[in-house]
This record gives sequence, structure tokens and C-alpha cells, in this order.
Amino acid sequence: MTGDRTDLVSDAAPEEGHDPSRRRLFALAGGAVAAVLTPGVTLFARTLTVGSGKTPVRYGLLIDSTRCTQGCDACVTACQDYNGLSKKITPDTAQWIRKVTVTDPQTGLTRSFPVMCQHCAQATCVDVCPTGASYRRPDGIVLVDKHRCIGCRYCLMACPYKARSFVGRVVKDQKPWAPRGKGTAEACTMCVERVMDGKAPACVTACAERGKKAMVFGNLHDPKSEIAQKLAQFPTTTIRADLGLEPGVHYRGI
Amino acid sequence: MKTRALVIAGLSVLIFFGAIWADHRGTVPVPLVPTAQGHCVLPTALMRREHMMLLRQVREQIVRDDKNDRTDRLTNCIACHVQTNSAGAPIPINQRGQFCAACHTYVGVHLDCFACHATVPQKAVSIANLMGTKGEQAAYSIPRVILQNAPASLSRGHS
Repeated sequence: MTGDRTDLVSDAAPEEGHDPSRRRLFALAGGAVAAVLTPGVTLFARTLTVGSGKTPVRYGLLIDSTRCTQGCDACVTACQDYNGLSKKITPDTAQWIRKVTVTDPQTGLTRSFPVMCQHCAQATCVDVCPTGASYRRPDGIVLVDKHRCIGCRYCLMACPYKARSFVGRVVKDQKPWAPRGKGTAEACTMCVERVMDGKAPACVTACAERGKKAMVFGNLHDPKSEIAQKLAQFPTTTIRADLGLEPGVHYRGI
Repeated sequence: MKTRALVIAGLSVLIFFGAIWADHRGTVPVPLVPTAQGHCVLPTALMRREHMMLLRQVREQIVRDDKNDRTDRLTNCIACHVQTNSAGAPIPINQRGQFCAACHTYVGVHLDCFACHATVPQKAVSIANLMGTKGEQAAYSIPRVILQNAPASLSRGHS
């Protein structure tokens, strides 16, 4: 149970290894209200913690669409190679990152940039997930716990960025750092294994090495990080900022 | 009278040899489990009985509790227990007779870890190598870490 949402937890017959009093202590510490209905049944109402409340770490991306060009797909191929995704995109294979080209019909201005999971602070996929498989890490990365995913595809419907994919066929030759299998939803993991090793995601590294140096990865909440300084330097936006989901992926020049 | 005795005797002989035959047929040889290099996180007897609990516990800690420094994870189990073929390439751990499959076939317990998880270890490849053509063939390695932080006790039913 995370404190991300207001939820009511009925604590019926104490389970093995579960200490209700300890749980209550946590709930109270989190500024919550608890009501004992009958002995053994307690309702907890937890306060809503807004994602933009500053945590020490929030990983994010900055994509400079003024540098990104239409012909380059270094980020996409790097993602596919590194995470063992299929290069052939069919309705039953996954796509974690894609290149999008948009044109303003009035001015004719054309921009090309990659779109992937936006790692929202108010992630809709997390909200709709019936099993708690979609979750948001304390460092802001939104992941699917495939052990819990039942493949209902609610998250695919809920995501306004169409970032989630459903794996509809048996997967072979997975990478040890990217377990994937039939019957689960998945999306960009921001290469969480690489990030934990202190490296940038595969797409960002590939963009710097072979692409147009249009992507910056870093901790949005560290004012000294490159990404935070660039965000403070020039105007950026997020896709569908009007939805108020507070994505972790920022774009320049769109 | 004589016929009845004969029938009973015949049946007894049939049952006797039938039982011997059935017993012989029913004996499945205990699998020869390939031995690993290095030391395990727990004594063998405990691992045989509790490894699924440990795997589940560690998986929850890594996936949900952000304890990414846990080294007693499935990928390291595979890296240590994998066998190589004559060409030096790792053999999938869930292949017939290999570490996981040998026991699971013997006890008739289906394991679905490898519907998602990689069956052979692989060294993390650098993105620069990935861009070349040879990056994918990067060899695997036995992890340097021999684990010390095994949990003191594994309680049954804990996940």
C-alpha cells in the first residue's frame, strides 16, 4: 500500500505476520484518520500526497525537439536492442519509444521527437490498475510489476500518451535486465537497471553518441543537475500539460 | 476345486510379477543436478526446501521496495548455476537436465519464471557496443559477488 491515493483499508482478521498496531502507527504518522468500527475492523483514511511535493529524487527527461531530426531513430533502435524488444511492430508486440512528427497546419512548422512513457506524477495507469501492478517508484519512475499484472489492459486505455503496450505473444531471448512475457502490459522503464547503476537510459546515451544530442536525463529535483539547470534556462512544456498529470518528460520547442 | 486353486495361484503369480514390473517402471532416477561454481546464499538443504520463498521475498524487495542492492536475485542464481556447452555458450537453465529443469521435472512442479525471465546470463552491454554488430554476442560472466547478506531466517508463508 502506498500513500499515493486516499484509500480505505479494512483490516479484518489479522493476517499472519501482520501487526495491526504497527500499521496504525504508520497511518497516523502519515497524517491519516483511523476509525475502529468493531474490534478487529479498522478503517483508515489516508491523506492524498501530491506527487509534485518535493522528493529528493525525481528522474526525468528533457527532449530538445529543436535538435531532434526526422530521419534519426537512434533512441528507438537503442531501446529495442538494449531491452530486447522486437523490431517488427505489430499489434501484439511492445513499443516502448516511438518517433512522432507533428506539423502545425497554420505555420507549417514541423517537429520530430520521441515519445515514451512520460512517468507522470499523477499517473493514470497507476490509478486504474486493479491489481496494483502499475506503480510509481519513490524516484518517479512508473513501472509495471509483471508478477501482479493480469493483462487487463486498463492502463493501455487510461494512458493519454499511448505509452503502454500489451505483449500478446510468447517472448523469447529476453534480456536478464528486462524480463518480459506474454499477457502483461509494459512500457518504458527509463532503463531503471541502468539508472540504478548510475548510467543514463539507453535512448539518452544513444542520442548523445549517435544521435543529435537532443536528450538529457537527470534528477529534476536536484537544482545542480544538468536537466534542472536547462529547464530553468529556457521554456519547455510537457505533452498535454492541460491534463495536469505532471509528466517527468519535458519537451523544448513544441 | 482344482481349477479354483489353479486360478488363484495364477492370479497371485500375475500380481506378484505385475507389482515388481510396475515398481520397476515407476522408479524415476533421482536427477543429477549440475553443481554450481561458488557458494550459495543458503545451505543446500535449506535452498532445496525454501528457494521459492526466498525468490519471492527477494523479488518483492527488489521490485516493490527499491532494494536494488540485493544480490541474491534470480539473475545471479542463473549466472552461477548455468552450464556451458562444448562451444562455451551457456545452456538455458530451464532446458532438460539443467539446474532448474532437472528437479522440477523430477518433482513434477511446473515453473513459469522463464516465461518472462532470461534463461541465460548476459553481461550488460554498453550502448556503444550495441550499435555495432557484435554487441549482442557479449559473453556472460559469473558474478563477482558471493553473497553474504542472506536473511537470517526464512519464515514460511512470508512473501
